[in-house]
Amino acid sequence: MFLRAKQGHPGSVFSQIEITAVLYYGGVLRYRHGDPEWSERDKVIVSKGHATMGLYPILADIAYFPKEELTKYGSGEGILRIFGNITIPGIEVTTGSLAHGQGVGAGFAYSNKKDGNASKTFVIISEGEMYEGSVWETALFASHHKLDNLILVIDRNRNIILGDTEDLVGLSPVEDKWRAFGWDTYTIDGHSIEELLDAFHQANNANGKPKVIVANTVKGKGSSIMENRPEWHYWQGMTDDEINFTRRELRETP
Amino acid sequence: MRFQRDVLIDELYDLARRDKDIYFLSADFGAPSLDRFREDLADQFLHVGISEQNMIDMAAGMALSGKKVYVYAMGPFITLRCLEQLKCSLAQMNLPVTVISVGLGLGYADAGPTHYATEDLACLRSIVNCEVYTPSDTTTVVTLARLTNHKPAFRVLRLDRNSMERIYEGDVPIEQGVHEIHKGERIGVISCGYVLQRMWMNWDEICGGKSIGLIDLFCNKPINLEGLRPLLEKYDSIITVEEQCLTGGFGSAILEGISDLGMHNQVKRLGLAERYYFENGGRDWLLDTFGLSNKTVSAMIHSC
Repeated sequence: MFLRAKQGHPGSVFSQIEITAVLYYGGVLRYRHGDPEWSERDKVIVSKGHATMGLYPILADIAYFPKEELTKYGSGEGILRIFGNITIPGIEVTTGSLAHGQGVGAGFAYSNKKDGNASKTFVIISEGEMYEGSVWETALFASHHKLDNLILVIDRNRNIILGDTEDLVGLSPVEDKWRAFGWDTYTIDGHSIEELLDAFHQANNANGKPKVIVANTVKGKGSSIMENRPEWHYWQGMTDDEINFTRRELRETP
Repeated sequence: MRFQRDVLIDELYDLARRDKDIYFLSADFGAPSLDRFREDLADQFLHVGISEQNMIDMAAGMALSGKKVYVYAMGPFITLRCLEQLKCSLAQMNLPVTVISVGLGLGYADAGPTHYATEDLACLRSIVNCEVYTPSDTTTVVTLARLTNHKPAFRVLRLDRNSMERIYEGDVPIEQGVHEIHKGERIGVISCGYVLQRMWMNWDEICGGKSIGLIDLFCNKPINLEGLRPLLEKYDSIITVEEQCLTGGFGSAILEGISDLGMHNQVKRLGLAERYYFENGGRDWLLDTFGLSNKTVSAMIHSC
């Protein structure tokens, strides 16, 4: 998709790829194949809208839209945009500007509680979103209203556009901050299928606390050209040799 | 005389009793009428904390879940403080949420510029999909409350802080967006909100024996240009009166509308100069002192 569109945000997508894979294929999410409107489905919001496209192959695979759409990504000929929006089946919220997904997700979670709907809301945010004050407004709210049906996953790859978060404006200790706001926290290797499965399993409870999974990740994971290279936040272009090399690397990534 | 917010919330109370999907969210802003709502309809009231940004994002999630959401706070904070959320969460997804913004203009005199809403219309005018209403009395508020229910859309209702008289006795032609309260000749004054009501109460004195039109443009966005056209054909000279900074405000919108219609009315704009007002003396004193007195309107009429 990146090669065809010659644009997009591969660093952020590869950073979260195991998270989304485990959500959809690890038995975590409740959804119906081919039925994006099922009222009891669990909802996924990729709050870092530049990484929404990481969901497209999955959504096509579960027959939310035809697979041919993947070939038209970002071209203007199909339905799939560089940043996801709610006209695309399976994209629950139009995102892009950072730190809205969590608040909208809290709106889903609160409504589900009110309606007695067992649907859960999973919101993937980048750690960079923690800089926005609105994230903490929602953190207070979700905790007070016991939104244990809201599960936040922080993709903590330490990289924002100008460098390492800890060098720029430090976010540590991340877990302590969330715990102080009344959230259950789990810190894991965000590329480990086992640890992700275990965290989602533990977070699946009704103890009255919202959950946050701090997933330590590597930006551009799986490609030595992209890994931890800030410029690969955005597609940079590759030679044919680099493309072949990257394809081999990605296939061989455990 | 009643407060617009009480009139609105009483209407919403009646609607919410019959419709459990109606939710009222407040960012720590109250009203006597809201006390009854909170007590009787506790399940449909939600205090979100003093967190306007979260309130708007939450409202988006609730609207996407099928709820009919009203969000409520003081004017400057529920507009500019969360303008990004209004744009990204409500406008982009075009969600039917009603934003109730209380205290337009210098309503919170003498608190000062932090509590005034004198730039909000200019900002809201730039937000796509956003309808903006500024009712000039309490009857219009009742009509608006019903409109939000039977024709849900992303709307901002700019209510006044002060209590207001009823200008309209019967139905307000809300879909028309504009109404000619007093018919006149040659010169028409277009306004809305508190400043319109202030002029309406002293209209004979302002006109000084002349027959002048008074036009209530309660729908500020989108302006119904076709509804305005016959009035612009009738009145050669238009005076706009607004409790906003002139830059990007109400008069500016009318100038653009006249241009879009290809018309050539003489337009004179009265409003607040582009500066912040730290002076104290009460709202009417501020309006009188800084260019919005009825005498100024009168002088403007006589200069046309």
